[in-house]
Amino acid sequence: MSNRIFLPLVIALALAVPFFTANTYFHHLMVLWMLFSLLALSLNVIIGYIGELSFGHAAFFGIGAYTAAIVGMNFGLAGIPGLLLAAVMAGLFGFVIGYVSLRIVGPQFAILTLGFGSIIYTITNYWVDLTRGPMGISNIQPLGLWGEGGVALTGARGYYYLTLFLVIAFAYACHALLNSRTGRAFIATRENAPLAASLGIDVFRIKLLGFVVATAVAGVAGAVYAHYLTVITPDVMSLQYVAALIIMVIVGGRGTIAGPIIGALIYVVLLELLRALGPLRLVIFAALLTASVIFLPGGIVSLWRRLTGEETKPREAAE
Amino acid sequence: MNHGRARCSARPSPDWGEPVDYIVLAQQIANGLVNGMTYVLIATGLTLVFGVLHIINFAHGEFYMLGAFFTYFAAQLLGLDYISAAVVATLAVAALGILANRLFFWPLRREHEFTILLSSLGLALLLTNGGELLFGADPKYVDSPFADSIVQAGQLVVTQQRVLIFVVGAVILLALNLFIRHSRMGKMMRATAQNPEGAALTGVNIRQVYTVTFVLACGLAALAGALVGPTAMIFPTVGSWAVLKGFIVVILGGLGSIPGALIGGLSLGVIEALAGGYISLGFAQAIGYAIIIIVLLWRPQGLFGTARRT
Amino acid sequence: MKKTRWLLTAAAAVLAGSIFGASAQDKEPVRIGTIAPLSGPGAFDGQLAVEGMEAMAALINENGGVLGGRMLELVKYDDKGNPEEGVSAAKRAIEQDDVDVIVGGWFSSVALTMKEVTRDRILNIMTSTQHPNTTKEGHKLLFRLNATSTMMSDTYSRFICDKMGLKNIAFITINDDYGRLEVENYRKLLDTCGIEVLGNEFYNKEDTDFTTALTKLKALNPDAIYVSAINTAQGATIYRQIKQTGYQGTTIASAGNMNPKLVELSGRSLEGVYSVSLYAPDSENERLKAWVEQYGEMFSNEPAFIGTLGAQAVELIAGAMDEVGSARDYEKLAAALRGRSWDTLLGTITFDDIGQAQQNIYLVQVKDGKITSVKE
Repeated sequence: MSNRIFLPLVIALALAVPFFTANTYFHHLMVLWMLFSLLALSLNVIIGYIGELSFGHAAFFGIGAYTAAIVGMNFGLAGIPGLLLAAVMAGLFGFVIGYVSLRIVGPQFAILTLGFGSIIYTITNYWVDLTRGPMGISNIQPLGLWGEGGVALTGARGYYYLTLFLVIAFAYACHALLNSRTGRAFIATRENAPLAASLGIDVFRIKLLGFVVATAVAGVAGAVYAHYLTVITPDVMSLQYVAALIIMVIVGGRGTIAGPIIGALIYVVLLELLRALGPLRLVIFAALLTASVIFLPGGIVSLWRRLTGEETKPREAAE
Repeated sequence: MNHGRARCSARPSPDWGEPVDYIVLAQQIANGLVNGMTYVLIATGLTLVFGVLHIINFAHGEFYMLGAFFTYFAAQLLGLDYISAAVVATLAVAALGILANRLFFWPLRREHEFTILLSSLGLALLLTNGGELLFGADPKYVDSPFADSIVQAGQLVVTQQRVLIFVVGAVILLALNLFIRHSRMGKMMRATAQNPEGAALTGVNIRQVYTVTFVLACGLAALAGALVGPTAMIFPTVGSWAVLKGFIVVILGGLGSIPGALIGGLSLGVIEALAGGYISLGFAQAIGYAIIIIVLLWRPQGLFGTARRT
Repeated sequence: MKKTRWLLTAAAAVLAGSIFGASAQDKEPVRIGTIAPLSGPGAFDGQLAVEGMEAMAALINENGGVLGGRMLELVKYDDKGNPEEGVSAAKRAIEQDDVDVIVGGWFSSVALTMKEVTRDRILNIMTSTQHPNTTKEGHKLLFRLNATSTMMSDTYSRFICDKMGLKNIAFITINDDYGRLEVENYRKLLDTCGIEVLGNEFYNKEDTDFTTALTKLKALNPDAIYVSAINTAQGATIYRQIKQTGYQGTTIASAGNMNPKLVELSGRSLEGVYSVSLYAPDSENERLKAWVEQYGEMFSNEPAFIGTLGAQAVELIAGAMDEVGSARDYEKLAAALRGRSWDTLLGTITFDDIGQAQQNIYLVQVKDGKITSVKE
């Protein structure tokens, strides 16, 4: 009910924010926030809806980024077709890897995704003819509508609106999905897979669907990232990014839509604010992170619920 | 392209004859076994924590890092010889395990596994970055009298330090196995592993089991750090490498299985050495991962794990 | 009542601020954006580099700073040795912090990407990057101090060919721009003087154990093993492990990577090993001596080559600014740097059209645990 006023207000604010300041570095941070939000939302499909942990998510981000960069470099397809191709490519990898791995659950699944991610990273690092190896690809052209020529996004502000649009679209899709039949199947699968199966839900198909969607969206994020930063290296697939994304999803609140977006905001803003602390920066960041997990296990979103008293802790009552 | 050319010329010239190949092969296997033993030491602590407490501890590698750094500082500041420094470091880090458990794991025992996982990730970041701040960014070398002394067996060459890693690793593992099988505490740990609620009902002190498990795990990681320290330079980020290797071995061998960690660790070490030696060094790790994927698809519970349906 | 008083105080403070601000305006420091690896595997090398810059800035500030009394101030950014972080840091330095110049480019991969952010916008001094493309694809405001790996290997290979009496050689190199280029260069150069390259092993920047690679190379039985390692920790491990595998032949250290910490960590295994460098620690240069003394007062590390490059960057920036009379007129600053030869702590330096420095390259050798220059 309050959502009806609240949500448009938030979106209007998000649309207006870049005009509060002409500081392009601030716009840069906003773009990073939106890119991380998109990634965190996509990982949230795996962590929050499927209920599994993926250590390979950065690899799909990387596949999207490299697809866009390579296709743009070799065929001049830098526009929307490049983004779509990045999504298809990442989704295809997601399909194959998901098809092989999703029958396995728990820590073993996490390690399987870690293994696939590392193999993709190694190949990227050594297939120098295609990816330029550790040197990475630089001078990637900005995102145009239809490849070279035509309208191209150059400033951070343009990328902000693009990524904001993507985040809103994907967040809406997640919301719609959760309230659909398929969405209820997701939740049933996460909460109790055997029971869901006995109710006639094809658990594997549901999981695979979620995994492919998540990886394809990560691919789109990667493509935008490549065009925006104009440079990518195999480092985009490193575990550092995976850890960062997992932090965003869980600190924000897994299984929710606001959670990963808030988590991404906190990640970007906090690291930026702590810059003044110099060498203490990451120590303080780690301490805040750990404290937030220990004192707010349900994520930042649970704080909101606790304050408004919307939730009466059904989960703990069940234990 | 460069790489291909390098590999072609790397093939031994024919006039050296066949025997050379076997010596190189044996040498690579020896290298692999020693590296594998360090993986075993790291993985055993991880598998113990998972097997008994069902916790995935991302900070495990940082205790390995601390083991190496404490050995360095014990030698530098207290003037201890290598062996005493290694023992002091191992005990000190094992004691830190009590603190880590009290602050980061015990309070969260009823939370979702992802929450605990993130708490351990936070601890890992805290220790790495704190280490960078406290120990300095400069790489350090743990001096050991065995590091550069070579043991030669025929044409095989191994340093005393690497022999030490292997022997100490084997002895410690044997001792741990005896402890878990026969001591009262070991039995309580096994009971907790099977059914925490049931164990608590029959009078097992769960809190004590948590403490002892973490002390053992952190001590083992630190011992690995103290032993491996002299074979390479140490710096505060070495832990992230260690924890990854540890996880791979644990999953390969089977979660919670100590024999699994032993076989898994040694095989991973040998596989990496042979893949690096005969296929491509750059792909050695990837090949290791590929083998794990194959094993997991064939036996999801790992080589020695007991099947557990969820 | 209370509110008006508060407002008055605030207004007074603002006024005072603007006045003092104005008087401080002409003494406003010249801010040098310093982008270096301050965390992660390259952190120590980054630390040495920044310390070198700090020591030189302190020396210049003691003597009254630049442009008639403006102090030099370093604004530090961590690039983590990662190209994307380097791009972000350069963006922040220019767009948010509005620094006057940028010094960076310790690793080639970072330099190659960062130069696209600084392109024609700001004076950018690149330091230790050895990749030729840093300047070849550079821009009119970009200068690079280090010799390119091609220049280094031209000098070094002449010595290896003439003086070392090798029949064949094997390489262990890092898998990146720098390492790949090194192997490519030396294959050609050593081939012309009849030294056979038996093999090469690439390692990755996160590797900690090299016994597998070294066992492989040792089995080739080469007269010498050439080690290309930028990172001090990996370098020291490789030199030690070469001896630990029982290899008896010659070890050759790649150009520009010899530093006191490496010698200390590698122990006996670096004794007698050759390298080439722009920095001869036993040089009689007065500027160098003053800097080394200042460095010793400020820091506990021993000054290293990478630090001298940082210092040289600061020295050149200060010199050019004083000559031009401006900290921001980049066209003129660039013209000044190109215009003549400069006396610096590393000796005389000149720049060509694309901003590539020409300076002396010395052959150095580790003797009794000290880096000494080899007099021919």
